[in-house]
Amino acid sequence: MSLLGADLRAFIAAARKEVRQQRRYPTLFLGQIFWPVLLPASWVLMGRAYSGNDPQALAAFADRAGSSNIAVFVFVGYAMYNWLSVLLWGAGTALRQEQLRGTLEAVFVTPATRLVPLFGPGVGMLLPMAVIFASNFLALRFFFGIFPPIGAVIQAAVIVVLGIPALYAIGALFAASVLRFGEVAPVVQLIRGMFVLACGITFPVAMLPLWAQVWAKILPPTYIVDDIRRILLRGDTIADVAGDVAIVLSLAVVTGILAVAVFRYLEMSARRTGMLGQF
Amino acid sequence: MTAAPAVETKDLVKVFERGRRTIWQRLRREHDKRERFRAVDGIDLVVEPGEIFGLLGPNGAGKTTTMKMLATLLIPTSGTIRVLGIDPLMRPREVRARLGAMLSGERSLYMKLTGRENLEYFAALYHVPPGETKARIEKVLAAAKLADRADDYVERYSTGMRQRLALARALLPDPPLVVLDEPTVGLDPQASRDLRDRVRELKAQGRTVLLTTHYMEEADQLCDRVAIIDHGRIVALDTPAALKRTIRAEEVVHLEIGLDGDESAVIDRLGRSATVARSERSNGTLTVTAHCASARDFVPAAFDAARSTGTTIHHVEVVPVTLEDVFLALTGRALRE
Repeated sequence: MSLLGADLRAFIAAARKEVRQQRRYPTLFLGQIFWPVLLPASWVLMGRAYSGNDPQALAAFADRAGSSNIAVFVFVGYAMYNWLSVLLWGAGTALRQEQLRGTLEAVFVTPATRLVPLFGPGVGMLLPMAVIFASNFLALRFFFGIFPPIGAVIQAAVIVVLGIPALYAIGALFAASVLRFGEVAPVVQLIRGMFVLACGITFPVAMLPLWAQVWAKILPPTYIVDDIRRILLRGDTIADVAGDVAIVLSLAVVTGILAVAVFRYLEMSARRTGMLGQF
Repeated sequence: MTAAPAVETKDLVKVFERGRRTIWQRLRREHDKRERFRAVDGIDLVVEPGEIFGLLGPNGAGKTTTMKMLATLLIPTSGTIRVLGIDPLMRPREVRARLGAMLSGERSLYMKLTGRENLEYFAALYHVPPGETKARIEKVLAAAKLADRADDYVERYSTGMRQRLALARALLPDPPLVVLDEPTVGLDPQASRDLRDRVRELKAQGRTVLLTTHYMEEADQLCDRVAIIDHGRIVALDTPAALKRTIRAEEVVHLEIGLDGDESAVIDRLGRSATVARSERSNGTLTVTAHCASARDFVPAAFDAARSTGTTIHHVEVVPVTLEDVFLALTGRALRE
């Protein structure tokens, strides 16, 4: 078996290990079923209460958001918020847990590439994400009577998948810092908050000041969220958003190379200072 | 042609910083006041293939730091290392592929996975070929006497079982060299004996074993050669028997002497008949460890010394020479201190 093949197998084993551990706590899945329904539903109801379903208010919203469908706008935003949380912090959380548990050194004395503990467990976290997406979809369907065309849903799912490398790469940057600094969760919370503000997660980017809109243009989530909404709300197709997809993939390549370089540098630093085994 | 040493280090040094440097101090670019100390201070080591080699020393002596440098988890400050003839700094993945390491014992396992699931995961990380994985896992489970508990969660294992599983995991890549950091720490006597038996089996299989311990009996019973390490330096290195011969005593006598005044007179008198390796006074009792050629001659002399200095011997214990005594003779301290 080639080295690449062996590392790929190790990668799959890391994801499988993560899924197995999640399955030992089945009650966690309850939260992944109910919160994705209750929280965005309350925001939708708030939006409707504020607008009073007044056509003028809805038109003003549509002018900024590109659609008057508040429910789909909010649910897509909420789904993306969870998606961002998992992908941005999934790798870091996994590494931090390994560090706290004491298993990180045992993993690091194996010949598997360092990308395995960095990204493998994050792949295992895609399963709960799928549950969250499914809950969102079913809530839209049964509580708000919205039936997005299946073709649009599939295309939105393709955009989600295409966005994974870019978001993982950003997450890997944070994960790398765990090796050197240990607890970096507060920094990640801050960055995630900034992403939520800047990337149009819960409100249209058009609401931001101009300078912030410029910043939003270099953040991959801005494109991913906007493209999904365009497909689900305005009837655009993947071909219509191909330019955005190219930008997201380009950002993924740049961020990915940066993340691997930073990870290698900080791993060497941790091996010099002894931080690898400390927490 | 002679085989290359399993492990070879030359003038190995690891310097750490002690203390804190806050973010505020960094931002203000204040002078770094952290103390730099040498956890490992110039270790020269040659471990021959097929032997059980022990690093014996108290906590903080530099044993684990040395092990971590060999296992590629730490980068030395200076000096050279060869593991199975390979430089771990230049080719770390090759070293990891040939090394079975058990460094943090039971903490290195996933408690919410079964023993078998732990091994499946690590078999993939160790690049065990898929076709061999199942057989390899069954083999190490059987050798660790865990086959009947393989499908239980590790959190339900005893400490001894977890240590055995950690050792089983280290053997997954079928390594020629196994490094064990304090393998029996926290185990009850029976579990310690079981693990030591496993280590002897590894030697019988032709593997080289490098272990650290602060248990003198373990080093004595298990190791072909022992390096006594203190403050990051090797203070003695030889077979356990040869090390024990270096203190030039056949027996060790522990005395507990009751006294009120100055202890120097009685120590001086005892020193005429034996080597006083250690003395410690606590609550009116002077505890003395003396190395002597014959306890039969020394003990009556000790009672004479006590009588002539107005003190009373409350307790006498005669024991054979151990590596603890060697450490005491070399450093003036007990291994436990």
